[in-house]
Amino acid sequence: MKEGLLLVLFLIALTSLCDTISQLFLKAAINSLNFVFTLNITKFLKFILQLLIKPWLWLAFVFSVVSLCIWLLVLSKADLNFAFSADSMHCIFIAVASRIILKEKFSSLRWLGTGLIVLGIVFVSLN
Amino acid sequence: MFKKKITFKILLLLIASDVLETAIHFFFKKGALAQSSLNVVDWASAQEFFKAIFASPFLWAGLFTVFTVFIIWSTILSKIDLSVAVPIASFSYIFVPLVSIIFLGERITLLRWAGILFILAGVILVSLSSKERIIQPK
Repeated sequence: MKEGLLLVLFLIALTSLCDTISQLFLKAAINSLNFVFTLNITKFLKFILQLLIKPWLWLAFVFSVVSLCIWLLVLSKADLNFAFSADSMHCIFIAVASRIILKEKFSSLRWLGTGLIVLGIVFVSLN
Repeated sequence: MFKKKITFKILLLLIASDVLETAIHFFFKKGALAQSSLNVVDWASAQEFFKAIFASPFLWAGLFTVFTVFIIWSTILSKIDLSVAVPIASFSYIFVPLVSIIFLGERITLLRWAGILFILAGVILVSLSSKERIIQPK
């Protein structure tokens, strides 16, 4: 059981990681367009069309399909309530990646929140 | 700038996104549960697993719900700030375990509930911290 738990945690980390990479590629695709948010429907459709021809977007799509496949494997092995809670580790990956790769600023409140999520995942995994 | 006030309509949309988000995970779990007897050890068994799972109507119901939630979520975010929307949408961290207990017969220990509450608090803090950037633009 202990070994099974480690494998499931590893797979959840892998799906979270793929999800994070997908989000980063998506963000890169959107950032490259300098889009200003608008509710103007024609401008928005033009933005979507421009987005669709970005290779970053398709890389993001591939990673999110891989992430879904691993997630389905996880669900066939683990309880939903455990898997769903543990999947919140993608918050941590995204936090670290946006800090390092996108050079976004971090407040102490965000570190505190990320720490609480880590603590929560440890609690959920103990049983 | 965006409005921060949550109207009744937005609240309904937020509740709908919570409920549908929970439904997505329920559908995916149902789809995966039917295939849980398959032991994925190599490439051939993985192919068999994914062939079976993508034939499941539950999986497609889940994917359709993902699309619906995406539309609802985009509508919500066009009206209110992310840092306001995320804490309310995070109630799926409570809904999913409840659905797991009621419909999937899973058991949740007190320790696990404590962990879920920590995660919920963490997600809310992380989303609230994004507000600081909006208040102090460069």
